[in-house]
Amino acid sequence: MSELIQELQQYEKGRSLWQDAFRRLRKNKLAMFGMAVLSIIVVLALLTPWIAPYSYEQQDLYLGATPPSAEHWFGTDVFGRDQLTRMLYGSRISLMVGLVATSVALLIGVLWGTIAGFFGGRVDAIMMRLVDILYALPFAIFIILLTVVFGRSMLLLFLAIGAVEWLTMARIVRGQVVSLRRQEFIEAAVAMGLTRWQIMQKHLIPNVLGPIIIYTTLTIPSVILLESFLSFLGLGIQPPQSSWGSLIKAGVETMEEYPWLLIYPGILLSLTLFSLNFLGDGLRDALDPRASQD
Amino acid sequence: MSLLNVKNLRTSFYTREGQTLAVDDVSFSLNKGEVLGIVGESGSGKSVACYSLLGLVPSPPGKIEGGSAIFDGKDLLKLNEKALRAYRGNRIAMIFQDPMTSLNPFMRVGDQLIEALRCHNKTLSKKAAKEKALSALEEVGINNARERIDSYPHEFSGGMRQRVMIAMALVTEPELIIADEPTTALDVTVQKQILQLLKDLQASHDLAVIFITHDLGVVADMAKHILVMKNGRVVEEGSPADIFENCSHPYTRKLIAAIPQSAKPDEFKYDSSHEDFVEAKNVVTHFNNTRGLFRQRIVSTVKAVDDISLNIREGEIFGLVGESGSGKSTFGRSLIRLVESQAGDIRIGKHRIRELGNTSLREARRDFQMIFQDPYASLNPRMTVFDTLAEPLLLHKLAKKNEVLERVNHLMDEVGLERKHIRKYPHEFSGGQRQRIAIARALAVEPRFIVADEPVSALDVTIQAQILDLLLKLAKKHQLTMLFISHDLSVVRYLCDRVAVMQHGKIVEIEETEKLFLSPQQPYTQKLLSAIPRIHTN
Repeated sequence: MSELIQELQQYEKGRSLWQDAFRRLRKNKLAMFGMAVLSIIVVLALLTPWIAPYSYEQQDLYLGATPPSAEHWFGTDVFGRDQLTRMLYGSRISLMVGLVATSVALLIGVLWGTIAGFFGGRVDAIMMRLVDILYALPFAIFIILLTVVFGRSMLLLFLAIGAVEWLTMARIVRGQVVSLRRQEFIEAAVAMGLTRWQIMQKHLIPNVLGPIIIYTTLTIPSVILLESFLSFLGLGIQPPQSSWGSLIKAGVETMEEYPWLLIYPGILLSLTLFSLNFLGDGLRDALDPRASQD
Repeated sequence: MSLLNVKNLRTSFYTREGQTLAVDDVSFSLNKGEVLGIVGESGSGKSVACYSLLGLVPSPPGKIEGGSAIFDGKDLLKLNEKALRAYRGNRIAMIFQDPMTSLNPFMRVGDQLIEALRCHNKTLSKKAAKEKALSALEEVGINNARERIDSYPHEFSGGMRQRVMIAMALVTEPELIIADEPTTALDVTVQKQILQLLKDLQASHDLAVIFITHDLGVVADMAKHILVMKNGRVVEEGSPADIFENCSHPYTRKLIAAIPQSAKPDEFKYDSSHEDFVEAKNVVTHFNNTRGLFRQRIVSTVKAVDDISLNIREGEIFGLVGESGSGKSTFGRSLIRLVESQAGDIRIGKHRIRELGNTSLREARRDFQMIFQDPYASLNPRMTVFDTLAEPLLLHKLAKKNEVLERVNHLMDEVGLERKHIRKYPHEFSGGQRQRIAIARALAVEPRFIVADEPVSALDVTIQAQILDLLLKLAKKHQLTMLFISHDLSVVRYLCDRVAVMQHGKIVEIEETEKLFLSPQQPYTQKLLSAIPRIHTN
């Protein structure tokens, strides 16, 4: 019977790496949990303008900081602003920063690393020295410079963070590619007549996806926190707008008097972080045909 | 009273498929000063059996299920970790296959020898230990040992490194040495020296040796007693003469028959009246070692291929033999421009290889392909067999989208793989099957010329014979011209019409295969041929 099924499977439509990966991912409960939590957070963030109980700029100075209550589930901050509302609006900013800045880092880093690692020799040396130089540049000064030249905007913030975060990605990818390039299947691809671009795309990048995914899941939270640092410098978003990073920062300052201002944003960020890691681990395993058998 | 007496040893492994017996009821005994050979292919349990004795089987997943191993009156299997350590490296020493990975690359060899000595004899002074280490190095034939004792492992050549490993095993004056494929990673001439050294040391120290190998030829004139193992069981045992002359088990017979002893059948021989299909004239390939911030400074140049000219006739299988570092692989890769050569002229069929531009070279590549050595590295682990085989077909537009499946199935038939495995990934196949996939990939574009770089050297001997026959059959069917690169002379003798011997980037001798094997003209060829381990049968 199983013979017959296999025989039939042979004629089914070809499976791609990603189709296979999602089939395996669905079996990974932890990863699916992560995906579910992230989806909920994303949906809430998208729907914020319609579901937020208050306006994000609405202050009530007489109220001041109050602990969680029926009117204000997560309490209010020192200006009497509803914490839940601020967290919801903060999600929009933080998730966007996380997503856009990480994508920028991913795109530049993976391409840069792959090209440097694949061509090797002088190309590699020059490209990686450039990375070293950018590494050595103090981050804050670099961002301030950008802001001075281009003015303050959200887009610039994304680009600036992405432009810094890609350096590590490039190094990781380059290291992996260098060791892969010497493998015979890459030589076989050359011998077959594939162009360099085709080789990078079809044979190299799929084989470095594991480390890329893991590093990406680590980059997203660090980017979210980086944004709060920039906001602190006055470069990111300013109150009454909020982000997870700025809420946590504010929460830390008043932690002893008003702990709820730290606890709830903290839980939200940790939850996102855990979910990302579960999903990342799951994806890495799912994308490696050797890791699971079925 | 024997030194070691193993009875009914059983070792199992837990795998995802369940529990498997890696060693199934193995018994043997060994006297002082005797050599026991254990022969088998990968997965036969020959190494696990010996590792079990010293508690070196990782547990879990491994587990010793039963049996006894009486060494000098004590049952090794019943000893705890601490008690076993007094035996390991002290009274029972090991020599591993790959000296590069079994020596610590960050420790001077002298320090490693001294460590081995002092961990078993705490009272030994550093100075005395060093003297002992020195004499051990001298004994295994390391010249000016006093200087070399402070070298790091990478500063030794492969053969010298294996000598250091042997010195390490000897330095504690053990009674029993377990040598696990000690010469497999070595060139044939070096292998011969190391085997001789082992033989001499065994006699002079009156050592008992268990010699684990996949190569019957290697143990043939060393061991007094041979065990042949398959799937964890001993299928046959006896003296070398018994094994080679009147073996009874079909597996032993298959093992002996798998060693190519002669030329290929006449029907596969080439027609020497054919035109040259491949012409290489004065090919030179250099590698530059570069340094500096931007790798702009050339510090040294390696002449991997140094002015080589040869012609291969249409339909011929041309053998290229040489030891590691002789430049044979680089030459093969230079021919089809996987490596850029610096000078010379190369023609394959109608293509003048060195003159092709990028685009025309890529198009020309469908006429010449390559089969690689390591079937574990030559297939993209994230592509199914179907994707691997469909890629060249689609790339060179040899099949329309709706014909691809049929073409791939046809390729599977040609290389003797079942069609139903088409959606599997490479790791789900055995080494031999993977090499078949690699062959199918090379054949997919219907090439005229194939460079085969050591295509069977990573395979077990019985699998090797199957792949060789497959290559012969396919070469004849598709009228392929082939450059067959190998270090294994008996394989070359079986497969090739003519042979070139390479050394230090130059060709030493080119001759018709049988002529070369029967009357080699050059001293280097003679040395190479005499180093092949032979099975002497009367």
